[in-house]
Amino acid sequence: MRVTQSMLSNNMLRNLSNSYAKIGKYQEQIFTGRKFTRPSEDPVATVKGMSYRTDLNKAEQFTRNLQTVNTWLDTTDDALDQVGNALQRVKELIVQAANDTNTPDDRQKIQEEINQIKKHLRDLANTKVSDKYIFSGTNTFTPVFDSSGLTNVNENSVSIEVFDGITLNVNIAGKTLFGDIDTFMNDFSNTLLDPNSSGEDISKKLGDLDNHISAVLAARADVGARQNRVELMTNRLSSHEINITKHLSENEDVDYAEAITKMITSESIHQAALSVGAKIIQQTLVDFIR
Amino acid sequence: MRSTFMGLETSKRGLFTQQSALYTTGHNVANANTEGYSRQRVNMSPTLGYPGSGLNAPMTAGFIGTGVKADSVQRIRDEFIDRQYRQETNKLGYWESKASAITQMEDIMSEPSEYGLDEAFRMFWSALQDVSTNPEDTAARKAAVQRAIHLADSFNYIDTQLKQIQGNLGNEIKVSVEQINSILEQIADLNKEIQAVEPNGYVPNDLYDQRDLLVDQLSEYLPVSIERVPSGGNASKVAEGSYKITLNTNLKDMSGKPLEIVLVDGRNYATIQALDTEGKKVDGDEDNDASNPSLAYFPFDKLVINKIDGGTQEIKQEEFQEFKGKLLSLIDSYGYSTDGTNQSIKGYYPEMLQNLDKLASAFVQAFNEVHEEGYTLGNSSAPSKNGIKFFDDTGLTAGTIKVWDEIIADPNLLAASSVQGEEGNGNWARILANLQSMPIVDGGTVTGTSVTLPDSLGLDGATFQSFYQGLISQLGVDGQKANLLKTNTETIRLTVENNRASMSSVSLDEEMTDMIRFQQAYNANARMITVIDETLDKIINGMGRVGL
Repeated sequence: MRVTQSMLSNNMLRNLSNSYAKIGKYQEQIFTGRKFTRPSEDPVATVKGMSYRTDLNKAEQFTRNLQTVNTWLDTTDDALDQVGNALQRVKELIVQAANDTNTPDDRQKIQEEINQIKKHLRDLANTKVSDKYIFSGTNTFTPVFDSSGLTNVNENSVSIEVFDGITLNVNIAGKTLFGDIDTFMNDFSNTLLDPNSSGEDISKKLGDLDNHISAVLAARADVGARQNRVELMTNRLSSHEINITKHLSENEDVDYAEAITKMITSESIHQAALSVGAKIIQQTLVDFIR
Repeated sequence: MRSTFMGLETSKRGLFTQQSALYTTGHNVANANTEGYSRQRVNMSPTLGYPGSGLNAPMTAGFIGTGVKADSVQRIRDEFIDRQYRQETNKLGYWESKASAITQMEDIMSEPSEYGLDEAFRMFWSALQDVSTNPEDTAARKAAVQRAIHLADSFNYIDTQLKQIQGNLGNEIKVSVEQINSILEQIADLNKEIQAVEPNGYVPNDLYDQRDLLVDQLSEYLPVSIERVPSGGNASKVAEGSYKITLNTNLKDMSGKPLEIVLVDGRNYATIQALDTEGKKVDGDEDNDASNPSLAYFPFDKLVINKIDGGTQEIKQEEFQEFKGKLLSLIDSYGYSTDGTNQSIKGYYPEMLQNLDKLASAFVQAFNEVHEEGYTLGNSSAPSKNGIKFFDDTGLTAGTIKVWDEIIADPNLLAASSVQGEEGNGNWARILANLQSMPIVDGGTVTGTSVTLPDSLGLDGATFQSFYQGLISQLGVDGQKANLLKTNTETIRLTVENNRASMSSVSLDEEMTDMIRFQQAYNANARMITVIDETLDKIINGMGRVGL
């Protein structure tokens, strides 16, 4: 086949240009850290990358949601703990008051403390976290007790999504729980002030108080169980997040060692092409004919 | 009787012929780098021997040769390789332009990345989840509304940018048509010059080269066929005649044979126009302003050829031969009408825009439908209520989707609650967020509620995100295919180009060798003249001088 100078020089130019393009491609991979930058370079990996990103975003959001859940549960648990302490004090006071040897003056002192504890319990029922009343069901703008007594808050659950389709109830409905306790406290206070009530009447209250304490404990147990579940969910989410990040990286990220090796190889090939090209293009017969 | 000076005449002819060959070599060397130049060779042939037959022919021992003449100067060119080259250029023209259009679309959609529409959806979902965990929080609500505005803006932006590129493609169509018309005129002019020269017996090689270069350029745009029409008169045997160029399409004439559409015939040429559905020339300078319909986009309708013999020929998109030519590729990308109206538009850019419109419309309608069943955040002056829309329901395309102004003004109107008056209830915000990953079936029920979706949303059970991912994946596959085919045709064309160069391009080594050859022949002829001169000198000055 007849070969001419213009063919040789055109071919050399074209091959050099291809070689540059290869070097450019590896450089871009190294700079961006990704194997591909547009859908046409790898359509399947592109779509997989999009859905991994969605999964990752969800996992991050659910982790954030879990933090909110933790805030609710921790605060609820803390408040109920305080309620338990207060009720223990009330128990001691009942035992103390169930003694017929108490004078009306003694009873009045006890009743004053009962009043204070009642107010304390009402305050606990109105516990707030980030401007929300946590015992008011979903009426989080309204406290359980306002200046005129028990309000009409509902007992609905506040639920927060912690994984695809999985929601957790994060609150304890306080209206019945605290309402009953408040009624008991009022009742007891009145009994103390009633001069006709005997020590026996008062000691009968112990049974009621025990019921209330059980109710509070039951609520705490519920919260505790949920906290355990939250911990399990948190672990599950964090390992899920790690998995997805790994898959996302495998899908898209370039292996630096491989890319750098390929780039250096193509650079040296390019240099070889340049030096060979320079030698071929030079001489024609013109240089040798006298 | 043979003539005295016959030898001189023979050698003189030799001198002239070798000189012509030398001049041709010089011409080749001078044009070694000219684009489209094919090397030329002098065809030498011996002149008639002496004597001729006849009544008074002398009896000599045999024919004596009388020298050489230059028959013709011919360019070395292979018609078949030219045909192959033009076919590959044609295909390359199509795929190159298609790959470029798809690349531009990919640049705008910019997936996978942190900037595209997918990310906007994700951020909106996250924002709604934040509202569902803190429904009373004004800051979370404002953030969600801002993310919704960003989502709508992303739709608007992609729409605007795609339409802008579509306009550029229209402009390219206009420029291509002008270019084609110019080439046709130039070829016709060359034909005219060639037709003037050939009947005199001359072979205008350089005009042929120019003409072939123009036909190569034309092949990039349209699939054409060449027919050589002899010029008649006293044309040389190696004359190539004038070109008759016909356009290849799928149209058939009455007897079922391919319809002959003549673009150039001798000195006459046709002109072409690309018209849109409004009958105006396609030029892409439209401003796609929906409020001003006279400036809106109109798709390509037909190519009109003003024929040489008067009359017009119309060619629609489906009558073109598939995947051939840059003009068809631009039309395919820009968009064409299949029935002459603006209702049924196909083409790469219009279809992507239509799909984005479908996505935006389905999203707005479904979201609003669900939102209206949720309850807003009430306060002392405005109680919690339902029936509020979130997106403006007049904006049902990708270019017009927009968050309703009242929501922007008052984020409390975001319906996060599933029950009236429950400010701590974020369940409805959660339902709204999960709308994105729910299969959207026309008339189907939203999971976890009793809300039914509107009919004719058209997503056929895909989720919003998977529908969009489907669009991107189709874009990627199409782009990959176009790039592959472009590289393939480029490689094949390269091989053909090499073959052509091997056949027709100038090799300096070869020309140098030939130069030596012709120079030595010239020297030998000159020496011959000297010899004959000496013999003649002997006869004239040496014979009959006995005794002097």
